[in-house]
Amino acid sequence: MMKHKVIAAGFAACVALAAPQIAGAQEAYKIGVSAGLTGYAATVDRAWRDGVELAAAAVNAKGGVMGRKIQVVVEDNRSEPQEAVTVYRKMLSSDKVEAFVSGCVSAGNFAAAGLLQRAKVPMMLCSILPTQPEHLQWAFTTLPPAGFEVDKRLEYLKEKTQIRKIAVLHDPTPYANLQKGVAERNAAKYGLEVVSIEQYKQDDADLSVQISKARSAGAGAILKIGLGGTTLTAAKNIKQLGADMLLLTSLEDLAVFGPVAEVLGDKFFFVASPSQVYEALPEGALKAGIKAFLDPWREKFRDRDPNWASRGWDGVMLTVAAIEQAKSFDGEKLRAAYEELKGFQGTTGVYNFRPDLHQGITDNPFVLATIQDGKVKVVQ
Amino acid sequence: MTISPSITSPERRPLRLVGLLPWLFAGVVIGYAMLVGGYAATVVSFALIYAVFVTGLNLFMGFAAQVSFGQNAFAAIGGYVSAVLTATYGWGPLPAMVLGMSAAVAAAAVIGFPALRLKGHYLAMGTLAIGLIAYEITVEWQSVTQGYMGISGIPPFGIAGYEITSDRGQLVMLSLIVAACAFAAARIRRSRFGRALSAVAGSEEAALALGIDVSRYKLMAFLLSAGFAALAGSLFVHVVGFVSPEVFGLHMVIVTFTMLYVGGIGTVAGPLIGALIVSLLPETFRAFKDYQDLAYGAALILLLIYAPRGLASLFAPRGRS
Repeated sequence: MMKHKVIAAGFAACVALAAPQIAGAQEAYKIGVSAGLTGYAATVDRAWRDGVELAAAAVNAKGGVMGRKIQVVVEDNRSEPQEAVTVYRKMLSSDKVEAFVSGCVSAGNFAAAGLLQRAKVPMMLCSILPTQPEHLQWAFTTLPPAGFEVDKRLEYLKEKTQIRKIAVLHDPTPYANLQKGVAERNAAKYGLEVVSIEQYKQDDADLSVQISKARSAGAGAILKIGLGGTTLTAAKNIKQLGADMLLLTSLEDLAVFGPVAEVLGDKFFFVASPSQVYEALPEGALKAGIKAFLDPWREKFRDRDPNWASRGWDGVMLTVAAIEQAKSFDGEKLRAAYEELKGFQGTTGVYNFRPDLHQGITDNPFVLATIQDGKVKVVQ
Repeated sequence: MTISPSITSPERRPLRLVGLLPWLFAGVVIGYAMLVGGYAATVVSFALIYAVFVTGLNLFMGFAAQVSFGQNAFAAIGGYVSAVLTATYGWGPLPAMVLGMSAAVAAAAVIGFPALRLKGHYLAMGTLAIGLIAYEITVEWQSVTQGYMGISGIPPFGIAGYEITSDRGQLVMLSLIVAACAFAAARIRRSRFGRALSAVAGSEEAALALGIDVSRYKLMAFLLSAGFAALAGSLFVHVVGFVSPEVFGLHMVIVTFTMLYVGGIGTVAGPLIGALIVSLLPETFRAFKDYQDLAYGAALILLLIYAPRGLASLFAPRGRS
């Protein structure tokens, strides 16, 4: 009898010792990131990647999702569609990634959308959504609608200025083109007239021709749409030409805006996301949502711009919420759960997805800001 | 009296086994990709598409010793004609591809007639401009190309209602096309046309003195090269199902030049070997993460130091490139 008790106790001890190892040995949940870590999207996508990794670490610190730790697999698509197809394929077939939270290279995500549809693996994106209906089914985005950035600027011009004629200066990227279309359509709603639409290339070193055309057409303000160093170029050209015009730029890294504000002073405004103006936000769910991200972000990256990273964070948190809602890691169930996510408080706003709406931000989260005495100030 | 190889029949040389090694290497790589599928199949598929492009480039640059930095323009024409006709107008891939190649060859004729009067650096600059202009058109002509948004929903290649959608199916199709292209290149090289190109490559003045219509042969090589580029462009859009301007940008020029020189310019097997090596090397070093480009660059430098005439030339019988 005694012998049996000893054996039973030994067996129980073995099970007790082995149990945590069995639980700990549960396979990690792999999230793939196809990001343009080199090439034109590098600034944005490196920040996105860092936000994704930060979110995964935060989830893992709380025990993971449904008992599984998150493992982030990042591959550089070099901001090229062909390379994106290769890295998506690698992550699908070699790394066995189960969901994607991918960066802002739209063409790369479009090119790989068919692969993901066939593999039944959903993707949460930084970029705009693919246009093919069968591809769209498997794609979701954290990107607010293109019109939000434009509307915020038109609203300001209508309410706070006497300017009624405006110019649009945009680069040829898909998101910038979408915004340009919105500006053309919506200007009249705000009592404004678009008198000049000019395009530039991201590597243009001079925009004085486009700005001169806008000025001679009678524009009192320029809506600049696009990322990169051209914002500073535009500001310098406005000053060199002695043009009495406001420059209102789209969402961008805050580091770009300091020198622009030095050139144009109080004639410069920019669209800012909530995480960029955290200190100016009123207490509430949005501020609390941003704080959850911003505390570890600032601890690790100090005063680096949080905008793109905050949406990467949202991408992971949305995926975790969808998995918990679906109570499954299965791709098809995860896709369906994304479509049912409602009222999810992220760092950029509240996400409300629907089967017919895969762009979850439905209320305009942006503010218009300027820089005064080196500090960001919300004006609208 | 010296008898020029350009006016005599080529001598028959015994088949040497060492000369088959590049083909054996290609066969092993393609066979492995077919066996494994997935990621490997995707990488090798892209390599085979590039092999078609580089085979064409080799006709112009290797066989005729001319320079062109603008062949990506013809790949863009082939790719976009195929994409627009199939995705927007519902054409079948085969007729769309044929029309794309015809359009590219026609464009090459219009461009090549004046451009090929240039020589050396001027020809290089002129052809570079062609590539840049084509890129700008694909970006700006948004009503047709949809600019950077690109064109999605391009059907996979297929004939008579049968679509080739599987990795292995596409690999088989691409392998057959590459084999046909290599065979064509080998035949061209040994033909009267190929010998004329060889004479032009040696010295245009000497070729002219021999009665070779240099301008005509250069133009024909340019047209053939454009046809191969258009075929590659069309294959790309049907394999991936998507096209946007970046696909045919300056990056394509750099990659294909690297493939041509690493593989062996002027050789028949060089384009395929170069395409495979240059496609596989970065993937081999992918685990190096941020140092991937460093390792890749170092490997390329080593290759060019130890095989300055390209890898395929290492296996060519002495005296033949």
